[in-house]
Amino acid sequence: MKLAVISCIHGNYEALNAVLSDIDRHKTDQIYCLGDLVGYGPHPNEVVEMIRSLDIPTCQGCWDEDIVEGLNACECSYPSQLAEKRGKQAHEWTNQVIHPKVRDYLDQLPMTLQTENLAFVHGSPNSQHEYLLPSMDGFAALERVVSTGADVLFCGHTHVPYLRELEDGKLSVRVHQPGQDARQHQFTTPLKRIINAGSVGEPRHGRPHATYVLYDTDTAQVTLREVPYAYEKTCAAIIEKGLPPIFAWRLARGMEFAERADDPSHVCQR
Amino acid sequence: MSSPSVIAVAGPCGSGKTTWIKQFLKDETAPFFYFYPGLDRSPVDLIRIGYCFPWVQVIADQQATQVLSSLPEVAVVYVELGFHVTLDSLRLSALPHYQVAVLPPHFQDSVWHEWADEIVPGNDIAIPDAAKLPELWHAPLHGQVFDPASLEVVLTELTGGAYGDVHRLKGIFEMPDGQALYIDFVAGLEGIEYTELNIPRWLEGRPDRWSGIEVMGDNLQPKIISQTLLDACLADEVIAYYQQQYQALSPV
Repeated sequence: MKLAVISCIHGNYEALNAVLSDIDRHKTDQIYCLGDLVGYGPHPNEVVEMIRSLDIPTCQGCWDEDIVEGLNACECSYPSQLAEKRGKQAHEWTNQVIHPKVRDYLDQLPMTLQTENLAFVHGSPNSQHEYLLPSMDGFAALERVVSTGADVLFCGHTHVPYLRELEDGKLSVRVHQPGQDARQHQFTTPLKRIINAGSVGEPRHGRPHATYVLYDTDTAQVTLREVPYAYEKTCAAIIEKGLPPIFAWRLARGMEFAERADDPSHVCQR
Repeated sequence: MSSPSVIAVAGPCGSGKTTWIKQFLKDETAPFFYFYPGLDRSPVDLIRIGYCFPWVQVIADQQATQVLSSLPEVAVVYVELGFHVTLDSLRLSALPHYQVAVLPPHFQDSVWHEWADEIVPGNDIAIPDAAKLPELWHAPLHGQVFDPASLEVVLTELTGGAYGDVHRLKGIFEMPDGQALYIDFVAGLEGIEYTELNIPRWLEGRPDRWSGIEVMGDNLQPKIISQTLLDACLADEVIAYYQQQYQALSPV
């Protein structure tokens, strides 16, 4: 079975259309979406309508949650004061233009999707806001995958695609409890994988192209796709709709709008 | 009887005039003077020279006539002529002086070549368009303290062309740990240079000393640059929090 996994569309309808066309050309059997349908980009309603109309199984992203619940960010959401101000501007704009039905749709999205040995989350199984960076401590990364019961964990949120293989091995844990002797526990884990799908609508890998992932469940082959699209149209729409023009400048350069994680040891408190 | 040595240094924006002058100012025993005509409103270089070489007498515009007419015999005066100052400056024509042009290598047949007694190869920057002077925008930042990560974002955007085509950027910026940084960017050279200024850390409220920014380029958007810089500045309570932390780490 051939899967396409997309994430972090961020209201970028042009990019979503280009990626869906690319997926079509690869004749996949199923598409999964890891959330962040809205935020920063100029077409949040159109993106959600497209995902809904195609009946794509989707989990809730941090931006989807924020539009429903309101902003309540942990420090890992924003790397700087300026980023926080820009993030709030984007949130305010999106909050004003979003249709009630779209908000209801975002509200009912699940945090996790699972099928057989595959799990799908936006950030991590702990939270839509937690970043699974490729440089995260191996034990912590393994814990995140094991907690889902799956062998392959698909995530997004970092906007930079990657494949991380956590080799099979034995884990040894020594547990001390008051009044009891220390006890040794041993676990054996098979090969686990974390696959980050990158970002359709707000890439951060230094180029403006959309990224997503193809996965073959029969061969376990992972293909990271990079799709050029008419980002200039999205840039023009950002300015036309009254979003900060700097978002257009940054989108055209494959730079994050505002959010970016850089501490692989940080545990999200959201 | 000897007379003061006056060395006039000119060249296009970012060619390395100040860097060339700085190499001679290290001798603490010499009676050095430094004058940059027309720089009083945007005195980044004057302030930096004053901080780096406290023994150098920096001449402000309004003092120039008086100081230049009563120089000690052994004085060595470096006069830096920015791109916005004409080479036949009136004040200099009255003084015997030696003329040095700091120019990009491979640059030929310019007004600086005709003017100079000596050509010094400088930074390998783009050859300036003599017919079109760049815009010069400057802003004082007195008392403002920057969030370091935000300042990095602003500078990346500014030097990357988000708010106009920047040829040169320099400034002095206050940090929450009490340090002041000199920041320098020249289009065509790699990266942005950050230098900690050797002055006392300011850890009691908003710094009461000069800081500011100077940007040279084309199609600059001053309003957006100003607003973005302000968005990167810390509020009183945040500055107080940081200063408290740094004071606890290294009590005076």
